[in-house]
Amino acid sequence: MEVRRNTRGIKRLSVVLLAGVILGLTFIPACQPPQSPPPGSEGDLAQLIAKGERIFFNETFNGNGRTCGTCHPAENNFTIDPAFIATLPKTDPLLVAEFNPDLKKNFENPKLMREFGLILENLDGFDDLENRFVMRGVPHVLAQRTSIDSPQGPRTGWSGDGAPGDRSLRSFAVGAVIQHFTKTLNRIAGVDFRLPTDEELDALEAFLRSLGRQQDLTLPLPLKGTVAKRGQEIFLDNSLGKCNLCHQNAGATADFGGGNIGNANFNTGVEGLPDQPPDLTGERVPPDDGLGTPGDGTFNTPPLVEAADTGPFFHNNAIETIEGAVAFYNGAAFNNSPSGRALARTDPNGVGIRLDATQAVAVAAFLRVINALENIRASIELLEVSAQKPFFERKQATRLLERAVHETQDSIMVLAGGGLHPDAVAHLQDAEGLVKKAARSVFFRGSRIRKAIDAQQRAKGLLVESP
Amino acid sequence: MSKVLMTVIGIAVLLWGSAPSAHGQRATEIYIPVGQSPGLSGKHTMIGKIETINTQGRILTIAGSSGTHTATITSRTKIWLDRSKLRLANQKGTFSDLQKGRTVEIKYEDPKQMGRGAAEWVKVQLD
Repeated sequence: MEVRRNTRGIKRLSVVLLAGVILGLTFIPACQPPQSPPPGSEGDLAQLIAKGERIFFNETFNGNGRTCGTCHPAENNFTIDPAFIATLPKTDPLLVAEFNPDLKKNFENPKLMREFGLILENLDGFDDLENRFVMRGVPHVLAQRTSIDSPQGPRTGWSGDGAPGDRSLRSFAVGAVIQHFTKTLNRIAGVDFRLPTDEELDALEAFLRSLGRQQDLTLPLPLKGTVAKRGQEIFLDNSLGKCNLCHQNAGATADFGGGNIGNANFNTGVEGLPDQPPDLTGERVPPDDGLGTPGDGTFNTPPLVEAADTGPFFHNNAIETIEGAVAFYNGAAFNNSPSGRALARTDPNGVGIRLDATQAVAVAAFLRVINALENIRASIELLEVSAQKPFFERKQATRLLERAVHETQDSIMVLAGGGLHPDAVAHLQDAEGLVKKAARSVFFRGSRIRKAIDAQQRAKGLLVESP
Repeated sequence: MSKVLMTVIGIAVLLWGSAPSAHGQRATEIYIPVGQSPGLSGKHTMIGKIETINTQGRILTIAGSSGTHTATITSRTKIWLDRSKLRLANQKGTFSDLQKGRTVEIKYEDPKQMGRGAAEWVKVQLD
């Protein structure tokens, strides 16, 4: 009897203590419900971005179940690849062509999607779905604030002409809903999907522009790694790597000596590559002629900071590895292309780009390191925002921590994949472990986040000198 | 002009690629109903009812909220039938679909010629 009374007492005490903790957390100032954001542009913008984020990941526009996040998932750097697709359940809306009879033909090619991460686009019109289409990779949507603007207007999508209407980033979602969200191939607005409203387009644009880097790097960086440092030199050498001409500061804008010309299109001969993986399957893969109808053969320049963990590469996912992507510029396809020949014409030795194997690997190492640095930056940002979330926003805070884990895993993969900076990799692994523990923790979350940030900073300090 | 600068400009011309000024994802524009083209409708297009059709000169006269305007239909003009109100798929149209009384939306090739120039595309609303 006494044991039972004691047990009841302990249970009552536990309930009281737990209630006290919850009440205490509720009334600690940091845990108060958010007041309305302060009036003025900063608070309004934050609300607009949050609204855009909700739409991006949740709104199906009354279509086939896909959202923007279906093809641009946050946990995979806002792009898809075969490894990611392999983790999806069979009923995932990305795979709708496999289970929706109305979309079984001429909407996607499931074989090419699963094996190479390719999606189908009817860039030249919808009047011959059987024959007029192209197969393209899904570009990530990071750092668009730095990468799409040009004096001729924004260049969106792989050929730079991805948006209907006024061609702006804001309008891009309309074209995407029509092409990818439709319930049937009739594509009737109001039946097969609904178009985004003006308010939704505003919110989506604000969200998209908030993603990733908000400014370009300023090269050269004071890198510590021997090979990456040499890779940066080659990258910046306009008589050797020549990369910086079209990818200023490893971004997406060009400068040939007369000033930055913004984001540009080039014909680099990717379509001329032999043995392109999708062509080896025997599936129908029409040629892709790039910008315009008929196309002029040019494709848009993506930023390189985000490259190493967002492969496969080029508009058709032709090359899997970053080393392969760099080596492409050594090959016949590039050097026989309009871009390659133009570089050769201005070269004293008549050479477009010619790098030996060690040099190509060095450039790839540089790209791996700057990608890891960007992942570290993004991870710290996510951790800091998560740490500021009050108790009742715990779910959101946990999602941010999960994204920080993905960013850290990418850093590890990118460095380890190139055999680079094992010491930094060890710190990043520590950071990953701490963040995972923080995500499961109630009382020690803050301190674990702080330790994870410290571990990230230690890793960063091994990659680059501090200012 | 210095040799270096000439070279630079030469490279830029060769490498830069076409200006996308008249492009855009026109492919999906066919499926966007009259009045809903993002960033265009109501700002850079004319919407109104066809009043007259000059078949010889291929000139339409349209009465809209801002008055009466004209548009020339050239061999480059895309004509699309907006059948969304009928819950039917939109299709390409022809000059003969431009009939008096029908509501149309017109985007002009040259924004400076809005209200009187050549049409880049015309959407014809069927209801």
